[in-house]
Amino acid sequence: MKKFISVLTVTVLMAVLFCSCGGKYTAGSTARGEITVVSREEGSGTRDAFVELAQIVDEDENDITYDGAEITNSTSVMLTTVKGNKRAIGYVSLGSMSDDVKALSIDGTEATAENIKSGSYKIARPFNVCYKEDTLSGAAEDFLSFVMSEEGQAIIEKEGYIKNDTAAEYEPMDNIGGKVVIAGSTSVAPVMEIIADEYKSKHKDITIEIQQTGSSAGISSAIEGVCDLGMSSRDLKEDESVKLKSDKLAMDGIAVIVNKSNALTDISSETVRKIFSGEITDWSQAEDK
Amino acid sequence: MTRVKESVMKCIFALCALMSIGAVIAICVFIFANGIPAIREIGVWQFLSGRVWKPSVNIYGIFPMIIASLYVTAGAIIVGVAPGVLTAVFLLKYCPARLRKPMHTAINLLAGIPSIVYGFFALMVIVPLIGEVFYTGGKGILTASLLLGIMILPTIINTAYSFLKAVPDMYFEGSLALGATRERSIFFAMFPAASSGVLSGIILGVGRAIGETMAVVMVAGNQAVMPGSVLSGARTLTANIVLEMSYAAGLHRGALVGTAVVLFVFILIINLCFSAIKQKKA
Amino acid sequence: MKNYIKKPFSLAALLLIILSAIVTAAVIVFITGYILINGIPNIRLSLFAWEYNAKNVSMMPAIINTVYIALLTLVIAVPVGVFSAVYLAEYAKRGSNLVKIIRITADTLSGIPSIVYGLFGFLAFVVALKWEYSLLSGALTLAIMVLPSIMRTTEEALLAVPDSYREGSFGLGAGKIRTIFKISIPASMPGILSGVILAIGRITGETAALIFTAGTVAAVPGSVFNSARTLAVHMYCLLSEGLYTDEAYATAVVLLVTVAAINALSDFAAHKIAKM
Repeated sequence: MKKFISVLTVTVLMAVLFCSCGGKYTAGSTARGEITVVSREEGSGTRDAFVELAQIVDEDENDITYDGAEITNSTSVMLTTVKGNKRAIGYVSLGSMSDDVKALSIDGTEATAENIKSGSYKIARPFNVCYKEDTLSGAAEDFLSFVMSEEGQAIIEKEGYIKNDTAAEYEPMDNIGGKVVIAGSTSVAPVMEIIADEYKSKHKDITIEIQQTGSSAGISSAIEGVCDLGMSSRDLKEDESVKLKSDKLAMDGIAVIVNKSNALTDISSETVRKIFSGEITDWSQAEDK
Repeated sequence: MTRVKESVMKCIFALCALMSIGAVIAICVFIFANGIPAIREIGVWQFLSGRVWKPSVNIYGIFPMIIASLYVTAGAIIVGVAPGVLTAVFLLKYCPARLRKPMHTAINLLAGIPSIVYGFFALMVIVPLIGEVFYTGGKGILTASLLLGIMILPTIINTAYSFLKAVPDMYFEGSLALGATRERSIFFAMFPAASSGVLSGIILGVGRAIGETMAVVMVAGNQAVMPGSVLSGARTLTANIVLEMSYAAGLHRGALVGTAVVLFVFILIINLCFSAIKQKKA
Repeated sequence: MKNYIKKPFSLAALLLIILSAIVTAAVIVFITGYILINGIPNIRLSLFAWEYNAKNVSMMPAIINTVYIALLTLVIAVPVGVFSAVYLAEYAKRGSNLVKIIRITADTLSGIPSIVYGLFGFLAFVVALKWEYSLLSGALTLAIMVLPSIMRTTEEALLAVPDSYREGSFGLGAGKIRTIFKISIPASMPGILSGVILAIGRITGETAALIFTAGTVAAVPGSVFNSARTLAVHMYCLLSEGLYTDEAYATAVVLLVTVAAINALSDFAAHKIAKM
């Protein structure tokens, strides 16, 4: 009896283990059925920018994102969801785009750096660095000038973002040291880390601390003086821009993404608006324009 | 000299013992002091029964989250309790001696896996699976319940096991001697004697399920609307806090702390039930 | 087996019991197997480089930070936890109101979800005490979180020390303090240790309580007032931008192995108790 149990257990466990290696399901053809809308959480810079640029707002400029939309606070969850769900649609920063999902053209314009630069791809937002001008420390000022210099901007371009045209020569300041605390947008943080690495190789006595807290939190920390520089992936609101000066670090596109098996390659901005506000809930309505 | 030392040390020990009371008070003070004013401003009833959560236009109603937390927890209990209790029985009465130790090790490993790893696993495996089977997005109450059911398994197994083990052998043997089968003896002689243990295991499981955050936020879908069915997405109280806390300021932050107040009250109720059961047993 | 054919209830019960055991075992094997199969190929030596930078998201600083936070937390929580257990086991009258209240509060503490701890730590240490996101804020939050489990295991171990040990010590003329520090606590060391090890396990796996208190900076901090991410928080951060899924799998493997090692240690300590 006991032997029987042991043998049975072991067999089933082996079977499970083998299944876990093999089980990949196959991708289908065109998307059909109910659309799974995936959005970011309220307060996310990516969402704020997307909602504003794709006009998912009512007449009072209030966010009217479909309340049946899945919400996630993580780009990884967004990508994984769209990758694994044939009926999903979502959006990510162009810098985080991966080959596992497909970016849609909007009104016939592809989401590429050139199109964003030329202004033909509309869903693009600035990456801003904001700070209090009068209390900025020497180290932070020097770092900022590095970010805005040709060297800093070259890194930005290399990482797939669109650089700022007004780059100047970087002239390091003397007699600076200490710590620069940067906080804010999780979209800006990866590229900021790369710039900071480069900067640290030039200035050994300056440490740079980067907190990924989100755009709004970064801006409010900059206002409260908790951090030296705030990172924001959206434009500052009116009451914020009174208190802080902000510099445009780069431009970033937001790509509307669908599953790779989805036959759709182009979508009109009107359809995007309707899908994300919940007017269209089925793919069949999305395809005939 | 020694007497002074003795009484000084006694005071230190007592002070340390009072620390946990101090900690509970501090937690209550900070959470309630930050949450209650916001709840007042929103209106207690509006906050608890409101069905719309739109921070951008200052509408805060957490009723859908309360419901979602209850659904998901109930789902976890449905999924996790029966296998958990029966596995405990297996470990106690059926498990071949050679298998017992590996099983215990494995169950403790399951208990120790960080919740972020669980969430990631569920996102990669359970979500696509549910999506394929039911032709939905895959995230929702069902997925979260399945995941939480797995996560509370070790708690339930371990509690049920230790209580079943504490039942005197004579209950089991006496029943066998009267001609009952092993199964009948377990279910009708041992279970009634260990019922409080099984119940407290369930309550601990409820506590863990309702408080789980990082895993649930990845698989529940997080729509702040009333869930329509077990397949539709839902946002639990914990997910609500972790999603928006880093952005929130002013009344929004207050409302999120208010969400924590509601969660805290739930946990207090669960704890009271737990100690009531413990008292009854003693 | 034959006896079961005429007894449908017993047969069903037996099958259900075996089925659940198999399901449980299968779930465990599946989860660990899935993580290992996907994670091990992604483990590279460069992931353990000393420096974290955007090109190489090394987990080494996060591992060091996890050790820091665990140590700092234990430095705070172990004395408090052990001393309160000493008070409960050696001084307090069993069943007095104070003891009851302490028990209830300890139970309450162990039931509070980690996200509530995170909020509390954020409101109390980060905002009210202005320590910002720092090692200290995180460690204090975690110390309160693990306090009850250290208290409980220590108390159980102390109560298990035979009274004859104490009486022998008193008989030799030792005072109460001396008896506690020289006899009771050493004798219950394995119990205390297994409690401490369990606490380390909980600290290692914690995310929700730390992201709002210790922050997410991926460097080894200079002081306790600097922000630092632990390994679990590191995994959370890797996932949040979606650029480093492979590295997240690798981190999951390291976490899993750590937890397994911690459990083995705790088993070992518990085994020692059983031997006593």
